[in-house]
Amino acid sequence: MNKAALDKLQEWSEKGHRSAQGDTLVMLAADYPEMVALSADLTPTARLVEFKDTYPDRFFDVGIAEQNLIDFSAGLALEGLRPFAVGLAAMVPMRPAEQMRAALGYMNVNVTVIGIEAGVRFGPLGNTHYAMDDIAVVRAIPNFTVIAPSDPLSTHKALYACIEHEGPVYMRLTGGPGYPVMYPEDFDFQIGKAIEYRTGSDVAFVSSGSLLSDAVGAADILESKGISTRVVDMHTVKPLDTEMLDKVFSENALVVTVEEHSSIGGLGGAVAEYKAGVADAPKQVIASLGDKFQKLGDHAFLMKENGLTAPDLAALAETNL
Amino acid sequence: MANTETVDLVEEKAALMRRDVIEMGYAAGGRGAHFGPALSSIEIVASLFFGVMNNDPKNPTMADRDRFVQSKGHACLALYSALGEAGYITEEQMATFKGDGSFLAGHPTRNPQYGIEVSSGSLGNGFAVACGMAKAAKVKGEGHKVFCLVGDGECNEGVIWEAAMNAVKYKLDNLIAIIDRNFVQLAGTTKDIMDVDVEALWRAAGWDVLVIEDGNDASSVLEALEGMKDSSNGKPHMIIANTTKGKGISFMEGSLNWHARPMNKDQYEQAVADLENA
Repeated sequence: MNKAALDKLQEWSEKGHRSAQGDTLVMLAADYPEMVALSADLTPTARLVEFKDTYPDRFFDVGIAEQNLIDFSAGLALEGLRPFAVGLAAMVPMRPAEQMRAALGYMNVNVTVIGIEAGVRFGPLGNTHYAMDDIAVVRAIPNFTVIAPSDPLSTHKALYACIEHEGPVYMRLTGGPGYPVMYPEDFDFQIGKAIEYRTGSDVAFVSSGSLLSDAVGAADILESKGISTRVVDMHTVKPLDTEMLDKVFSENALVVTVEEHSSIGGLGGAVAEYKAGVADAPKQVIASLGDKFQKLGDHAFLMKENGLTAPDLAALAETNL
Repeated sequence: MANTETVDLVEEKAALMRRDVIEMGYAAGGRGAHFGPALSSIEIVASLFFGVMNNDPKNPTMADRDRFVQSKGHACLALYSALGEAGYITEEQMATFKGDGSFLAGHPTRNPQYGIEVSSGSLGNGFAVACGMAKAAKVKGEGHKVFCLVGDGECNEGVIWEAAMNAVKYKLDNLIAIIDRNFVQLAGTTKDIMDVDVEALWRAAGWDVLVIEDGNDASSVLEALEGMKDSSNGKPHMIIANTTKGKGISFMEGSLNWHARPMNKDQYEQAVADLENA
């Protein structure tokens, strides 16, 4: 790990995932000469100004052209470069889904696609700017790995893991300004290896993305009521850590999956697909954005609307236990 | 002018490739083949493989090879026949075309050890990927060229124009694209489906454009390709090669019926006779 990241955690927490991502890409460029970054007219939004200024020959802005963003990245990767293509999660996996299938998945190339502002973080901008289906779209493409890190350091470490990973990765980023530091110290981050954030034997929250902090908050509430609660950071949605899930299914009475995504095709869907083949598995409840377009509102409002705050999650678990 | 020996070689290989296209397509039986779009592009592909490109079938992944991306992937028989005649793949492998478990699908699948650089068939994407490959060569300071075969119908695709603008922005003069302008696409003529001034569009996008009147004439194609390959004018190159769909087969030439379909025994015999009498 780049040790400079530890000094940045507070700043990244204050500024949100875009800064954690943008600053980390600059660090990656310094450490890996084959690394290049691309965006589709999002340089300031994606916090890539420093990258562009520091590595102008390794930064490509393809214009407002997401299909070409993906194909162009594939061509760069076929020739041995390591592209990181950054776009809005609301646009990038869905508009160029076919490019992600044909050029990245099918040719199994080393491109990391980063979707910033996943979920409903763009609240007041409305539903065209919400990414509620991005995991579902990408998860169905063979060879793709899907990662949803939970905090500044896990975002940083996940990006470093991506450049050592063979095959295409989609990384969806959630967590705006003020999102908490869940990992204050260096820790072991491995793609496909979930982290048992807290142990417990009654309820198990299996969470992806920045809602980890809300799952932990819900666990605090349940624990205060004497309900033993496990929290799993399932940062890699594909491939799932089925070893961890086997442990959860055998030791916990209720599984609550937690994600800022549609109830269809995301983490909840992935866990349910795996659970379908496990005998005597516990009940699962999917805490999500549901299957609907959202009302207009800021992020806190939409989290409340969808029952994704810590008290809501605790109540959901208690009701279903 | 292309030298006579090269023209002769390309013409000889083109004749063999046409025969391969008919044999492979007929052997596919009821699975059919995209005969028309393969046959229109034979001289273009033959000129690349046997005249212009730096390539070596014995060392298919050598670092300084010129790259060929067949973006109009449905015309895969033109590519497979060239790979066969050049020695990248064997006759036995050619005979598996479209068969169960074959690596020679109806659209190319990336397979560098056999000379297939990029998976294509989803139209427009091969071209955009080729632009990325050309940019990578610039970034890495490598001198090889990237050649890309595009269909005229394929230029209906939005990603073609996203990539076209981007290629100009990054001054990809190491990229030479060729449009197989055969004037027929799947459901009709290009005039009926999307009647646009192809040359004007590419010029407006900022490309270095050259039109050749007969893209089925090896000498013309070679001359155009050699000129573009040697040009470092800061612009990506586009050769618009006017061709005949189904070129060389009497009942296919210019036909709307031979974009893709199976061939029966009578048609096969007629096609073989046409090629023998050519």
